Amino acid sequence: MTSGHEVILQMQEICKRFDTLQALDHVNFELRAREIHGLLGGNGAGKTTLMNVLYGLYREDSGEIFLKGKKIAVNSPKDAIRYGIGMVHQHFLQIGSFPVVQNIVLGTSVKNRFTLNLDYEAGKIKELCQRFSIEVDPFANVNELPMGTRQKVEILKALYRGVDILILDEPTTNLTPQEVDALFQTLKVMVNEGLSIVFITHKLREVMSVCDRITLLRNGQNVTTIDRRAATEEELVRGMVGETMDVSKSVIFSKGASEQINRSLSERVVLEMEKVHCVSEQGIELLKNITLRVHEGEIFGIAGVAGNGQLELAEVIVGIRPISAGEIKVYGKSSSQMISSDLLREGITYIPEDRLEDGYLPKATVAHNLILGAHRQEPYSKKGFINWRKVYEVSKELIKEYNIKTSGPADTAANLSGGNIQRVMIARAFAHAGDSLLVAHNPTRGLDIPSMDFVYHKLLERKRQGYSTLLLSEDLDELLLLCDRLGVMYRGELVGILNRDQFEKYEIGRMMSGVKRNL
Amino acid sequence: MDISQGFITFLRSLLLTMVPFVLAAQGTMLAGRTGVFIVAQEGIMLTSASVGFIVSYKTGSLFYGMLAALLVGGIYGVLIAYMTTTLKMNQFVIGLSFYFVGVGLSTLIPKLVIGVTLTPPLIPTLQDVPIPALRQIPIIGDIFFNHNILVYLSILISMLLYYFLYKTSWGLEMRSVGENPKAADSLGINVSLQRYIAVIIGCMLIGLAGVYLPMVYTGTFTEQMTRGRGWLSSALAFFGGWRPLPIFLGSLFFAGIEVLSYRVQVQSVGIPYQFLLMLPYVATILVMMLTFKRSTTPAFLGKNYDREKRTL
Repeated sequence: MTSGHEVILQMQEICKRFDTLQALDHVNFELRAREIHGLLGGNGAGKTTLMNVLYGLYREDSGEIFLKGKKIAVNSPKDAIRYGIGMVHQHFLQIGSFPVVQNIVLGTSVKNRFTLNLDYEAGKIKELCQRFSIEVDPFANVNELPMGTRQKVEILKALYRGVDILILDEPTTNLTPQEVDALFQTLKVMVNEGLSIVFITHKLREVMSVCDRITLLRNGQNVTTIDRRAATEEELVRGMVGETMDVSKSVIFSKGASEQINRSLSERVVLEMEKVHCVSEQGIELLKNITLRVHEGEIFGIAGVAGNGQLELAEVIVGIRPISAGEIKVYGKSSSQMISSDLLREGITYIPEDRLEDGYLPKATVAHNLILGAHRQEPYSKKGFINWRKVYEVSKELIKEYNIKTSGPADTAANLSGGNIQRVMIARAFAHAGDSLLVAHNPTRGLDIPSMDFVYHKLLERKRQGYSTLLLSEDLDELLLLCDRLGVMYRGELVGILNRDQFEKYEIGRMMSGVKRNL
Repeated sequence: MDISQGFITFLRSLLLTMVPFVLAAQGTMLAGRTGVFIVAQEGIMLTSASVGFIVSYKTGSLFYGMLAALLVGGIYGVLIAYMTTTLKMNQFVIGLSFYFVGVGLSTLIPKLVIGVTLTPPLIPTLQDVPIPALRQIPIIGDIFFNHNILVYLSILISMLLYYFLYKTSWGLEMRSVGENPKAADSLGINVSLQRYIAVIIGCMLIGLAGVYLPMVYTGTFTEQMTRGRGWLSSALAFFGGWRPLPIFLGSLFFAGIEVLSYRVQVQSVGIPYQFLLMLPYVATILVMMLTFKRSTTPAFLGKNYDREKRTL
């Protein structure tokens, strides 16, 4: 691929602060015409913040932006669009109840503005689809479309506005491997048509396979900008994680760590689900005929595009959501009569997906947050009274072990940064993780790389100790790295279960889009 | 003949009674479509009724009274929009506060301007404006085409709002703000401006609904004369799924209950009228229970939007 040489966009010395957090610290960024520029870094590196500044969603505290050599001020997305800059957000900004064409033309002037007959605009969208070989029905309702197509709608939104610069924020989240390939194809077509693309990601392999140049950020600062051909994975890894992490011992980066594990299955079954159904109050079938067994010491993964029943599966297992039919057994005992606190005592622990929403008390102390849920058990509590000295002792140990940045156990949890709150949640889950089963839903979402690696270590350690884990994750790489077996969910159904030796990305991708496999 | 005459009178009074419901509920709906949930209708209606009445009384012109009511509504609109959209204060707290302010002002202002009088000051009520030709049609003409100007206006406004929201690109933009302000913002739609416009116009309609009461029903202002119609307009917005045409039909239904409740009071037929007055609320709860699955309530109703607020 040839990329132009002239620089079309420069961001210089950009600073942005959120309360106590310096999100961007004198960051520089430069985009050339007709290149795919990877913006790489772990969570909290500042990638999205930097691009939100460019798109006018955030105002920079200081710094300058130049477009084709001329200084510009981007005060709102409206300005950005006027300057030919478009952005596809990680969480799609769409109005589910509107059809595709309305979502796309929204905010632009349309031909029939007094009748809202959008046939003319739909025609223009179809032309764009053809030109960039994208397939979307302009009159479909957005909330009925699969994730991959919804993303195409987002891309079309930008193309429709005639942007020259397109920012994609973690565009491969929630896509099947097939959809990722199709996306990369589309990106190449777009570059050939004259666009320049900023590709935000935390996935090394993606920048290596599709980008021309790479800018690496860490903790809101520039690390380096290099040509992809001159880059080595090792160098990028070092740049992403910094000096504090021992890469050779990491589960993520050293291939050996997860391969040397004994993967043979124990005979003892910890969790058994037999033809489990779950119907919502609105009569929607959330889970259909789920049958699976998790053995002792096993890491059983659940893959699937978000929203295909993973949350419901986790919730029925830990007893927060009732099942409509079937049976769930824990160590051979039916759990249907147990409520979640009984299950907690049976040794089942849950790391919820939305930890900030469901699992954290912002006004309470760090110590309080660390023992929440275990507070009824010894040694924290005797006859209904909490032994705060013990709680503080344990909390101090956890703060140290999990490297939580806080002034101490008495600190108010809301004072912590997002990443550190995540660590509190992780520490709580692992410190009290039951010896029978840990149900972990997207346990590494929002974590920076060292914390992520820490979680992986903990999960593998559980395995070595003979404890089981049900790992529900949107990150296919994470599942492939850790799991002994893997089930794929599609529309509330388990479309197949694979053994580790059958793991194959594209096969899993097909299953994620609903293609069944004989169990 | 007697029965059919009674039916015609009933339908006529239905149209007459629906007006404050239609205006206040359409105003609530319009603001709600951008995500601002007005709950101060009762207070806005009372202040507008009070000020509108006084202006009419002092100037001798009902038209000036209406303008004054629109102005009062507009001022409330500006304040509510400023506090919720610009200052991002809690919409319900603001709404309830303005309700109490409105109730207080509505009695305070007449006391200051007119003072205490033995006989209530009166204004002439709004005259019927028969529509030429159409008025001559038997029965239909009696029911539909011999009303005061605000009856026609409330029908017209309902239709205009439907057309605006669903058939123009500006309406599409306005609706998008209430459904997903972040999406709208990212496409260059000015979320704050849309909210200001919708809230101000919405409050003006609510103000007009308020001044209808002294101008058509009583000819004077009395304390708490809205009698819950303002609260009902919130219920009505939900009842009609925040869509102009169902809200219009819902207003007819609510008006029907009000008309019946007066008749029951006069004729004492055994149903306590308090029971009838309760019916609109019961109906609203039932409708919301039935339509719960496919609710058309704007997704961001009652929620403020802050562009730089980080959601982790």
